[in-house]
Amino acid sequence: MSAFFLLAIVQGFVIGISRTFYGRLSENIGPFKASVSAHIVGFVFLTIAIPLVGEKFLYVGLTLPGYAYLGGVFGAFFVVVSSYVFPRIGAMNAALFVISGQMITAVFLDWHRYDVTPDLIRWIGICIILLGIYLSRFKASEEPKETQNECDNIELTR
Amino acid sequence: MISKASDFFLAFVGGVLLSLMLYLSSILASDTSAIYSSWVAHGLGAIVAICITAIVSLLMSKKAKTKETKKFPLWLYLGGIPGAFTVLLAAININGSQSVSGTIAFALFGQIVFGVASDQYGILGIPRRKIRPVDFAVVGCVLLGSLLIIYGRAGL
Repeated sequence: MSAFFLLAIVQGFVIGISRTFYGRLSENIGPFKASVSAHIVGFVFLTIAIPLVGEKFLYVGLTLPGYAYLGGVFGAFFVVVSSYVFPRIGAMNAALFVISGQMITAVFLDWHRYDVTPDLIRWIGICIILLGIYLSRFKASEEPKETQNECDNIELTR
Repeated sequence: MISKASDFFLAFVGGVLLSLMLYLSSILASDTSAIYSSWVAHGLGAIVAICITAIVSLLMSKKAKTKETKKFPLWLYLGGIPGAFTVLLAAININGSQSVSGTIAFALFGQIVFGVASDQYGILGIPRRKIRPVDFAVVGCVLLGSLLIIYGRAGL
């Protein structure tokens, strides 16, 4: 296995670590402030990192569409949503459902941007992910009941 | 904590938002650099997050929301560092690797493995959750479906 694949696995771990931080922070200060903190700290970190890796802050003569700069709008809402759900559904489910939404959206964005019509393989991929979501619903419907019962028991013993 | 179907749906919506963010950021990165594009996204994201926090707190201020604040480790505030570090790793990988599809697939695999291990062992202080047999079927489906989507594109 190439070193880059190992690095990619590490990257996956680091993504997981950051979501755990946001999720735990959200439990304490709420998902909105958690998103503010995540972005400010990340911004400061990158401001220091950019000169260190020899990149620059200013690009002259770019002919990019204005919306290319607007990724952060979605990013702000993404951190709110993902740090809100993290403590509620757990680390594994958070990873699985975010990936599902990400992959299925990516197919449609490719279709839109590169005019890549999804081939049969991609449609099958979407169906299998949806099957996974369907399977996890069994658990979702089981879990609240159990927790509910536990709560009831606590109420009763009080 | 009681998890509802709406929480799972929200997590899925989170993935949609993430994909849209990466889509726009990748357009910016194509003419600049991955790290610059992420810097712009973090800067704008901070402004937007401050605005929505202000709006929400204005709307909520009518209701009394005197929540008792527990003490919590302050290092939790540093979550933005691993978050931003991800971008650096991704940039190294995409510039250096022969197979972009492969690295994306391995990164997804890493996220899922870390998620399962976190629930199993309570990594970084999260409550432990029991992994059920059906979870492995869900993991298998999401991973296989994602691989087909990644390699379906690569095959074109």
